[in-house]
Amino acid sequence: MVKKVLVVLVILVVAALILFNVGEKTGVLKKGRLKIGMVTDAGTIDDKSFNQGTWEGVKQAGEDLGLEIKYLKPAGTTEADYMKEIGNLYDAGFKFIVCPGFKFETAIFQAQDKYPDAKFVIIDGNPHAGDYVPVVKENTVSIFFAEHESGFVAGVATALQLKEGELGYIGGMEIPAVQKFNWGFQQGVKYANENLGTKMVIRPENVIYQGSFDNVAAGQQLAAQMYDRGVKAIFAAAGGVGIGAINEAKSRMKAGEEVWVIGVDVDQYAEGIYDGEKSIILTSAMKQIKKATYDMIKFETEGKFPGGQILTFDATNDGVGIPENNPNLSAAVESKVAEVYAKLKSGEIVVADVQGDLIR
Amino acid sequence: MKKEMRKEYTIALVAVGLGLLAGALLMLVTGNNPILGFIYLISGGLMNIERIGNTLATATPLIFTGLSVAFAFKTGLFNIGGAGQMLIGGLCATVIGLTLNWPKPLLLTVIIIASALGGALWGLVPGWLKAKFNVHEVVCTIMMNWIAYWSVYYIIPAYFKGAYLETESRRIPEAASLKVGWLTDLFRGSYINLGFFLAIIAVVVIAYILERTTLGYELKAVGLNRYAAEYAGIQSNRNIILSMMIAGACAGLGGAAFYVGYASNMQIGVLPSQGFDGVAVSLLGANSPWGVFMAAIFFGVLHSGKGFMNAMTQVPPEIADSIIATIIYFSATSVLIEKYWGRLQKRLAEKEKTGPPLVAEEEIKEKVGGAS
Repeated sequence: MVKKVLVVLVILVVAALILFNVGEKTGVLKKGRLKIGMVTDAGTIDDKSFNQGTWEGVKQAGEDLGLEIKYLKPAGTTEADYMKEIGNLYDAGFKFIVCPGFKFETAIFQAQDKYPDAKFVIIDGNPHAGDYVPVVKENTVSIFFAEHESGFVAGVATALQLKEGELGYIGGMEIPAVQKFNWGFQQGVKYANENLGTKMVIRPENVIYQGSFDNVAAGQQLAAQMYDRGVKAIFAAAGGVGIGAINEAKSRMKAGEEVWVIGVDVDQYAEGIYDGEKSIILTSAMKQIKKATYDMIKFETEGKFPGGQILTFDATNDGVGIPENNPNLSAAVESKVAEVYAKLKSGEIVVADVQGDLIR
Repeated sequence: MKKEMRKEYTIALVAVGLGLLAGALLMLVTGNNPILGFIYLISGGLMNIERIGNTLATATPLIFTGLSVAFAFKTGLFNIGGAGQMLIGGLCATVIGLTLNWPKPLLLTVIIIASALGGALWGLVPGWLKAKFNVHEVVCTIMMNWIAYWSVYYIIPAYFKGAYLETESRRIPEAASLKVGWLTDLFRGSYINLGFFLAIIAVVVIAYILERTTLGYELKAVGLNRYAAEYAGIQSNRNIILSMMIAGACAGLGGAAFYVGYASNMQIGVLPSQGFDGVAVSLLGANSPWGVFMAAIFFGVLHSGKGFMNAMTQVPPEIADSIIATIIYFSATSVLIEKYWGRLQKRLAEKEKTGPPLVAEEEIKEKVGGAS
């Protein structure tokens, strides 16, 4: 028995050695053209949110600049799974690798040393060894967004459009990016109440973190409870959980009730369409993930890759905000929001990225 | 005995062949060259020492869960609670690793024992319910999976959460990790860890229990016919409980190998897929310990080679997942093939006696049966 196992193992090793040569040969790829790879975070490539935003940036760059692109989906969400996919991309000649999400922090920390001739972009995170001390090497750039500013603008727009009533918030996991959306949103609503004459209320029981980004059913339930409590619009910064909230709003809107959802990360208008062109998405608190990704790739092709830096996309560089077109916002509201955005840009309004005395 | 063994090997190989064939078909349908695809798939799993290490590391939890399922099968029990048992084993390992500050050899010993005990406890409950009240173990083990899932969901964020993240535990310290420097260096930074050797030991021990001890004999007897075994004076209730406990302990060890070996911390909200893949591993391995070992390595190659195949070809990741799932699915149909194998042999034997019958028809039947 043991002998047989040994024989099989020997055969495997021999096969491996033969294939090793094959691998070596195929490993020599045509040099020159930059190849862009991406490893997805938990969730699918069409998550209408983080992965999709990043991939669209990669795709756009691929089209505009004539580059080969590819994404890989790791088997799990452990550091080992991420490292394996980064290694796969690297071995296949993809030397510019974009990774969306804080979960990649420790993997990128290792990868930047292991593959010194590759470039890495990590979005919403800093490479670190597990101790949260950022170490951004020359071949890596980490990108952050001012989610609080994005939430702020969305909050102002929502308050202006709805004027009075109750608002709610559903977050995914209680992580910094999601919390900052929440805090910014509350500040935006408060700003509108104090300076623009609206009367919106956010009650503590209507600010909830579901605890995951993929539990669609739970999102739908939470949204149903909030709408039942009289909430008019919910800001859902929660990935798949937010999709549940959108579904609930769609069915209620179809039944004649007036309920809204404020989308997140990307313009989610299309996701909320329930009848013809009509959508339950009032507006979306966007992070220009696509633009940021695209810019990094473009910089690399121009030889201006900002390696070693931690970049923040905020109002000053149009990195956050609401979509250009908001069919559910009136023209007056949109121009008012644009004024507020300009003040944000000039620094006249400052949004805090900490909880302070806000709800949760 | 020998002949029986050879037959099982042949059946497993035919199953793998069928699986690869089905995977190849899927590649063809999506407009890719299957031969190239397979070359990349296998070289992705084995083309250098680091990748071999990663393949073995991926296979390690599968060896444990495969053993777990196979062992319970021997006693006629279907343990699909591998995922939950893994989680509890991993939870015990994580809790101890993050709490105690002992020297590495001592700490690892305690972690390994604790994870086995945790898994055994998760097997004990369904085993006891089965023995005492005849509650079906499939239902029970599935429920136990969710109890484990939500226990982890509560305990990790409440007591062991990371500095900034609610959703995963703190990083496992070096002293509590099954990863060791010399092994990582030997395999050029791969994720292989002591868990692999632990798995080999487990295979040897389980094979020994089944083939060479009274306990193993009794367990198998209960599996073959509970009532006959009882008539022969074997306490089947005790054996059912014991069998589930040992099966649970195997999966629990797999949890330690996964959460403090392969991974570097414990994440909540994930039911490890290895628990269910263990069923396929066990089926392909014909429920024998060494069969499980080889089946797990094969699955390890598939899982870790998938990404490279993906990167080198135009197969979209989602399709690549389906291809791997198809190969696994067809590989696990070895039971079906066995059925037709018996018929085919009978027909062949008849042919020798009575001259040429319609062999071709039988062959077609076999293929259709295997592919449906």
